[in-house]
Amino acid sequence: MANNNTHNHWTHAHQTQEHWDIFCTVVDNYGDIGVTWRLAKQLAREYLIAVNLWVDDLNSFSHILPTLNPNQAIQHFDGVTIKLWDKPLSLQYHPGSVLIEAFACELPTEVIDKITQYHHSTALTAPLWLNLEYLSAEDWVDGCHALPSLQASGLKKYFYFPGFNEKTGGLICERDLFAERESWQSDPSNRDGLFQQLGLKGIGVADTVISIFSYETEALASLCQLWQSATTKVHALIPIGRSLNSLGSIITHPGQVSPGQQFTYGNLTIHILPMTDQLGFDRLLWSCDFNIVRGEDSFLRAQWAAKPFIWHIYPQEEDYHLIKLRAFMALYCHNLAPEIADSWQALNLAFNEASENDIKQYWQKLELANLPLMHHAQKWPIDALNDTDLASRLVQFVKNS
Amino acid sequence: MKTAHEIRPGNVIMLDGSPWVVQKTETTRSGRNAAIVKMKLKNVLQDSSTETTFKGEDKMDDIILDRLDCTYSYYADPMYVFMDSEYNQYDVEADNLGDAAAYICDGMEDICQVTFYEGKAISVELPTTIVREVIYTEPSARGDTSGKVMKPATITGGGTLSVADFVKTGDMIEIDTRTNEFKKRA
Repeated sequence: MANNNTHNHWTHAHQTQEHWDIFCTVVDNYGDIGVTWRLAKQLAREYLIAVNLWVDDLNSFSHILPTLNPNQAIQHFDGVTIKLWDKPLSLQYHPGSVLIEAFACELPTEVIDKITQYHHSTALTAPLWLNLEYLSAEDWVDGCHALPSLQASGLKKYFYFPGFNEKTGGLICERDLFAERESWQSDPSNRDGLFQQLGLKGIGVADTVISIFSYETEALASLCQLWQSATTKVHALIPIGRSLNSLGSIITHPGQVSPGQQFTYGNLTIHILPMTDQLGFDRLLWSCDFNIVRGEDSFLRAQWAAKPFIWHIYPQEEDYHLIKLRAFMALYCHNLAPEIADSWQALNLAFNEASENDIKQYWQKLELANLPLMHHAQKWPIDALNDTDLASRLVQFVKNS
Repeated sequence: MKTAHEIRPGNVIMLDGSPWVVQKTETTRSGRNAAIVKMKLKNVLQDSSTETTFKGEDKMDDIILDRLDCTYSYYADPMYVFMDSEYNQYDVEADNLGDAAAYICDGMEDICQVTFYEGKAISVELPTTIVREVIYTEPSARGDTSGKVMKPATITGGGTLSVADFVKTGDMIEIDTRTNEFKKRA
């Protein structure tokens, strides 16, 4: 449960400003809810905004917030009021100053009816209505960010696009995150302590540690085969979930493994991780030498970890996700030496295209360039952030609207 | 009702009690295959324009106004003049044609639909597929025949679009006017 002192602090904060509502549909277990939960916490903590986070699947949410009770309709954590979004809506919706539909989710009719009623009232003001969209590095985002979406009812909804330049809505990044990461990474005992806490055994100082949080792909099995005959020991840290589905050729019955188990094949040891909360996940990324991440939330956290990574992007029809991947890679590699940039991009493409031979070839090629890639990964977060994070820009956008 | 994804330049949609001519549409993809449609709209009653964004699945009233099959006749700045089968002429403001203007050219025989609001011609909708000649494009660089590698091309009338790498100057090509995309060689 929430810490009592913290709770009192937030209760006071909630009395200072009109509240915001964020609606989130849990689609892929941890992606959408991961982003909205981080945003809600940051708005509450750094801007003292009272936030209601409406979530349609508290069970999934509880995987990244283990203290959440999936059977309780209203709960308070980190200054955020978490509310169950059931259908029809059991809890009453009271419009605040801002209403955010995350990732184009369909708001409940009760909510639409209420804000329409406010819009047509002379005495009441409808909240500023935003659709918080997915993150993309594509050019078109610049032209669509902050545009209104005219509704038949006369209400306006604004499309808010996260992004990597000043024309977009920015990237989610907590104010103290980089300082916390640097502090963590400057003391090796933090990493050792975390690995111990996770029950990881046999990891030496010189070993290579790789975290894996991907969708299914044959490329992962290929990498694992390669790592078995690596010149140094490799430890692959994999949580229960979709990555393991691809390792049927390596682990017998990957669906039946449990956290704490480890499997050694040559120089590769696969460690099965327990599920962790967001802070634990950040620390895991900070502690590994290389991270394989997926979707949107972990993708951004891997960038903030300042470590080299592979992005397994959510697959889209007609391979459209590869356009998004290439747009990001072009941006990421802008200041990277061409030969390293080429190998890193080819590695990411091979992983996303499940190209079993290419993934091995480019992993081996990239290992030689690990140090410059590491330096680039350390510099990138500053460049990507462009001075301001998403929550700051969002608060400013609301003020200006 | 149509979804935003189905709306095309020349359609007239009703928003907050006002009819808006759709001048331009641009569809892109967000996460999880969701479409985002950016539109340029012109308010028929107030003569004001706006850019706006919709989810691809957003539903909107596509107003059925009077329409007539017409062919393009000539351009008298700033009006495009269209003619029906009985030789009646209708002036449409260039601004109201939006992206469709790029496909208007002398001698075109496409049957277009001119839309009327309170007796005034307010927009023109082109056929879904039109055929135009490529008047200039760079020669193929890679000899690609898959159609996946694209390059810019200028077509009759001066409009530009991306075409497959195998297309040559002088080729006739099919264009989807809903998306302004190259379909195939005609």
